[in-house]
Amino acid sequence: MKKNETKKMLFVTQFEELWFDALESLMDLRKAGFNHVVFLHIIERDKVAMRRGKGYLKDEEVRLREMANVRFIDWAENLFEQGMEVGAYIVVGNVLPKIISTAKEEGVDLIVTGRHRRPKLEELYAGSETLELLRRTSTPVLIHKYMLPSGKINDKPFERPLLALDWSDASENAVNYLLGFTDVIKKVVAIHVASEKLFKSDSAMEIQAIRKENRQKLEAVCDRFREVGIEAESHLYVGPTCEQIDKAAQEREATMIVGGTTGSKPFKEIFLGSTAKKLAERSTLPTLLIPASAKSKES
Amino acid sequence: MAKKILTVDDDPDIIAFVKTVLEENGYIPMIAKNGEAGLAMVREEKPALVILDVLMPKQSGIRMYREMRYDKELKDIPVIVLSGIAKRTFLRSQEALTEFGDQPVPEPDAYIEKPVEPEELAEMIKKFVG
Repeated sequence: MKKNETKKMLFVTQFEELWFDALESLMDLRKAGFNHVVFLHIIERDKVAMRRGKGYLKDEEVRLREMANVRFIDWAENLFEQGMEVGAYIVVGNVLPKIISTAKEEGVDLIVTGRHRRPKLEELYAGSETLELLRRTSTPVLIHKYMLPSGKINDKPFERPLLALDWSDASENAVNYLLGFTDVIKKVVAIHVASEKLFKSDSAMEIQAIRKENRQKLEAVCDRFREVGIEAESHLYVGPTCEQIDKAAQEREATMIVGGTTGSKPFKEIFLGSTAKKLAERSTLPTLLIPASAKSKES
Repeated sequence: MAKKILTVDDDPDIIAFVKTVLEENGYIPMIAKNGEAGLAMVREEKPALVILDVLMPKQSGIRMYREMRYDKELKDIPVIVLSGIAKRTFLRSQEALTEFGDQPVPEPDAYIEKPVEPEELAEMIKKFVG
């Protein structure tokens, strides 16, 4: 990411999880060039859809649209007065397609959203909305949770990210993406979670070789951050991926979890996709997910 | 000859309202739905007046207004800002951008906070383009 280049953030809110204080907690990103915020509110189609004997609920659409408009005007005034650029969309439709089409139309660099959950039964057939979003966009997605379990606001989520690496292309994209936040990140905690299966060998030498190889890879990543002035530390964990990432985030006092995801290969998706989904939906920390198809911000 | 007036707004209801006011008063309405498209249309069509919203997709009215005032060929085209965003915010935003190093720009020719009565809008338009 080049300095002084204006970056756009798409802030998706259904006025349920994410409010203005969630956006304010991301204002530190202005140091990384995020000076353009685009608000998106989607009036879900079933809220205004045809009802027997009533037809399309135009009055309800106007009411919902104006409610969103009043909120966006207030938020926009606050940001405009700080010299930021602001845009807004209030649209009727289905959430995911609208997020994807707006992100594409505006050419955003980051999508910020809350946790969108489908009803359990629907999720069983259609899959997770988080996963579907990641599968269909090449833009990094921040599943933002700005309230810490303590009740305080996580006002600098990018200050101390925990970067979970699995040595995939998506992981490499995640490293490149974070390298663009030199003025925002103070310290990166780089971890790799090794599967317990790898430790089933009865040869101590073999196990140590695995440990050494992963430590070396982690340190190589840390060196890349150190070169641009970001502190970095590395840790190797063993066990179930999602649980270990969450544990590491707590132990290392991380402010956010970052990982690469892929949706391109069906087999990998079962593993990586489920980890991303679990982290996005269960972790109490914001989760930044970088799709494998994301363009490198260094190039 | 009827004068061309450009409305830059993303709200279909406002577009329809302004278009009606313009047509009823003998002007030729032109429409753009965001600042980016609006600026391109101003450059191409050189309208007699621009009626400009602030909060829009792609590019806000604040940036479009700035671009117009920096452009030698467009800087004298009168602009009426018609927006839900307060005038105070518009001016503070322009001040903030100037503090960041941009050149200062003058205040818009007129500023109307939505909603507006058709007669008030028509009167304002006449004041600038006759």
